[in-house]
Amino acid sequence: MQFLESILLALSSLRANKLRSILTLIGVIIGVMTVIAVVSIIAGMNRYVVDKISALGSTTFVIDRIGVVTSEEEFFEALKRKKLTMEDMEAVRENCAFCYQVGGRVVTVRKVKYKNQYLSDVYIAGATANWPELISGIDLESGRSPTDFDEDHRRQVALIGWEIADKLFFGLDPLDKEIRIGGRRFKIVGMAEKRGTFLGQSQDNFVIIPITTFHKIYGTRRSVDIFVKAQDLESMREAQDQARMILRLRRKVPQDKPDDFSIMTAETFMDLYRNFTSTAFLVMIGVSSIALVVGGIVIMNIMLVSVTERTREIGVRKAVGARRRHILWQFLVEAVTLSLVGGIIGILIGVLIAKLVSVTTPLPSAVEWWSVVAGLLIASSVGIFFGIYPAMKAARLNPIEALRYE
Amino acid sequence: MLIKTENLWKIYEVGAEKVHAVQGISLEVEKGEYLAIMGPSGSGKSTLMNLIGCLDTPTRGKYFLNGQLVSQLTDDELARIRSKEIGFVFQTFNLLPRATALHNVELPLIYNGTPSAERIRRAKDALKMVDLEDRMTHRPNELSGGQRQRVALARALSNNPSIILADEPTGNLDTATGSEIMQLFGRLHSQGNTLIVITHEAEVARYADRIIHIRDGKIEKEERLTKQG
Repeated sequence: MQFLESILLALSSLRANKLRSILTLIGVIIGVMTVIAVVSIIAGMNRYVVDKISALGSTTFVIDRIGVVTSEEEFFEALKRKKLTMEDMEAVRENCAFCYQVGGRVVTVRKVKYKNQYLSDVYIAGATANWPELISGIDLESGRSPTDFDEDHRRQVALIGWEIADKLFFGLDPLDKEIRIGGRRFKIVGMAEKRGTFLGQSQDNFVIIPITTFHKIYGTRRSVDIFVKAQDLESMREAQDQARMILRLRRKVPQDKPDDFSIMTAETFMDLYRNFTSTAFLVMIGVSSIALVVGGIVIMNIMLVSVTERTREIGVRKAVGARRRHILWQFLVEAVTLSLVGGIIGILIGVLIAKLVSVTTPLPSAVEWWSVVAGLLIASSVGIFFGIYPAMKAARLNPIEALRYE
Repeated sequence: MLIKTENLWKIYEVGAEKVHAVQGISLEVEKGEYLAIMGPSGSGKSTLMNLIGCLDTPTRGKYFLNGQLVSQLTDDELARIRSKEIGFVFQTFNLLPRATALHNVELPLIYNGTPSAERIRRAKDALKMVDLEDRMTHRPNELSGGQRQRVALARALSNNPSIILADEPTGNLDTATGSEIMQLFGRLHSQGNTLIVITHEAEVARYADRIIHIRDGKIEKEERLTKQG
């Protein structure tokens, strides 16, 4: 009852001074809002990124020429490396005992036409027929993927992404129709399910053709990305080491020199991503803690004012039998109620910002329930931490002096 | 014996100076008595009231309330005694401005841990005793001075205390309202309550059974009044 009374008392004093309350709470509002907004946006991205990265399963790794570069210098250095070739891939496929599946992929960007409709900037991927074993996340809606037979005969067949089907065929069945890529005819043998967008980029504007056909048409000057799937998680390490040795030997890399190719696992991408999000988290923690400290000090100040304003009330309460802990509790509950109201407003605005961001920008967002709980916890801890001193001051007041206070 | 004080002293230090507000007062009050403590301002009567009301502890001397030695208790122990044994009525009413009459009267019961249903019942009863049952939901600023003092009196009654202590209860009221309040005190006394009224007005003091005159922190004289009629 005393608890409820204190909350109602706090709310009524909040209502009595609307402007003062908003000004008092602005620090807490900004602090909690930042936490909610940033966590929601990062959580939204996590959901996508983890999903996308795990498309490269935990037992799969990719060998490519450039790898993950974080500076211009590294990039130009990497450009000097020799291209990876089909022969490199074959060598890994034949000699790596721990490698369960080995495939290759080459990519270019081309215009795709059907009758008088066309789409530009479509990803054309030449892939070995075993690609579905190596890359998950692309599921067939209908038809099939290019086969070994297609690969052996360099047939001009294509599996198309959902967007190609949607934009060139307007919902008609595209199977067995012919599209033109750079003037060459390709028979559509399959169509992929919709994958949606990632960071604003469509993931459905691709065409997959046999890698041999790709090389026949576009030449072999592009570096081949080699995809390797290990037998199981335990043999991941050995598979990578073996593939590395095979390639170093073939490419005659001296013992004291680093690899002239790079090996990336899902973990590599996750690290990169984690790096980025941890920076965002740090910025968030910085901004919100400054706001919360300032907000807490303002709350402390307003509580001190409130204690002074209500000295007589405290005197009366003590005279009729309130003990120290009653008074302490009353003012503490009031401070926490105050900061919790700020926290709730902050959560609402934070959620709103997250939604607004996901609607107006390519960044996705997902409100995490734990961030809402954290927001409330943070707000109430601010209330407790900064409310304890004014509350103790109130509790320690001498009833006689408090009653005499004008 | 309800109240028994033995040689009570209260000495304040104001800067370098020592103020002897109460100087060796011994007095006894029986249950059901109506006592007035009278004296000019600065006589130490308010300090005496604070001591009797367990708001303060004496510098020297002993105070037994209901046989319990209360002169050496801590703040919280005193608060516990106040919430059970004492009801205050102040000159300036001292009601909580934002709370209703009923809630003001409930206040002592909140702090002595009376369960909520019981609390509301007793607060209503107390308001009935001062004839304010129709003003329960009013806030102090919607009540007249006399009504406010009656709410304060109901608050003092609500926890069924051993003593009701009133400090200049009519000081902020006009004469007519003041005598109404004093008549109400008389009624409460006749119902068996123990009353102690602190005042500087002879008019107010004369309602009591006994008057103790205080001057310079000492008992100057004591007179017993015989009720007329």
